[in-house]
Amino acid sequence: MTPEELRERARRKLGGIRRRARDPRFSKVMGRFAREGLLVTNQSYRAHKNALEVSDVLWAGELEPRLLELLPALVVKRPSMFASTANLPAELAEVVAHLRRDEIPRDFRGIPGRAVHGWLRRVGQRGKAPSRLKAFRFKPAERELLAELSKKLGVSETEVIRRGLRALSSATLLSKSAARL
Amino acid sequence: MIQRLDDWVLEQTLLARADGLPALKPCSIRLLGQTALLEAELPLTLAATKDVDVRADYQDSVRREFERLLALEGRELDPLGHEIWMPVETRYSELYAGKFVRLLLAEPEAVLVSKALKAPRKNGPLLTEYLARGASERFLELVSAYAVDLEQFL
Repeated sequence: MTPEELRERARRKLGGIRRRARDPRFSKVMGRFAREGLLVTNQSYRAHKNALEVSDVLWAGELEPRLLELLPALVVKRPSMFASTANLPAELAEVVAHLRRDEIPRDFRGIPGRAVHGWLRRVGQRGKAPSRLKAFRFKPAERELLAELSKKLGVSETEVIRRGLRALSSATLLSKSAARL
Repeated sequence: MIQRLDDWVLEQTLLARADGLPALKPCSIRLLGQTALLEAELPLTLAATKDVDVRADYQDSVRREFERLLALEGRELDPLGHEIWMPVETRYSELYAGKFVRLLLAEPEAVLVSKALKAPRKNGPLLTEYLARGASERFLELVSAYAVDLEQFL
């Protein structure tokens, strides 16, 4: 293929890309991501404040795949950016489920799972991974003690257990584990 | 921002000398990836995450200060930036030369070839736009050297 043929074929494809980029959905999504400081761009998009439809982000992501790189972590850490995070498309729901467990998901629409997971601690509250439910059985006396400590310290029962874990790991010199808490 | 980093290294070096401690070594920071394309001010539609991709030979204290200065600008050092593959033939132009810190910019053609080869899906629309504007001889030379399939962007 000559350079001129290459250019002509690319021009034809670019026409389609540009038509889609003029769609208000694309400007809205880019405007919101730029406003949040999630994307830096050399184009000007009007800052968009309202919640986005996940479907619009998925659609815009076909033109700007960096949106897809950020989307799953934002669904987990910044759900308020979206009108609804219920009934996600199966592929996205699966990636989000992995992130909620702090696991590396499989590739998401051409974006490596490792790159998608990399944003989990870097969007929303920095450094924080989502907490997960873990159930335990306590005897009545232990439940009373937990409630009493919670009341006395003015923190939730979960926080009492967290503090207990930190104290225990420090006491037993599990420094690496303690640093994670 | 790089000038502020250079000033900081100079200050630390003076302090270290006064205390008889080893001074910080001069370093080079090579800008890669999307940040390099944005800095090159190409007539292309570009968007980047807040990540800044670099390959640098700085000491850890310089890296930490660089990270702090980037954070003031709302940017972050990509923890995996140094893993980015670049053609061995990549040329770098000097963007800033301070007393201790040099900032180098990877040539856009090499950055685009890296993207076309290693992350074609993520960079598809960008590569299509570049090809539509007319690829440079240098780009086509690198494409041929690394057997990049351009059909996927057409």
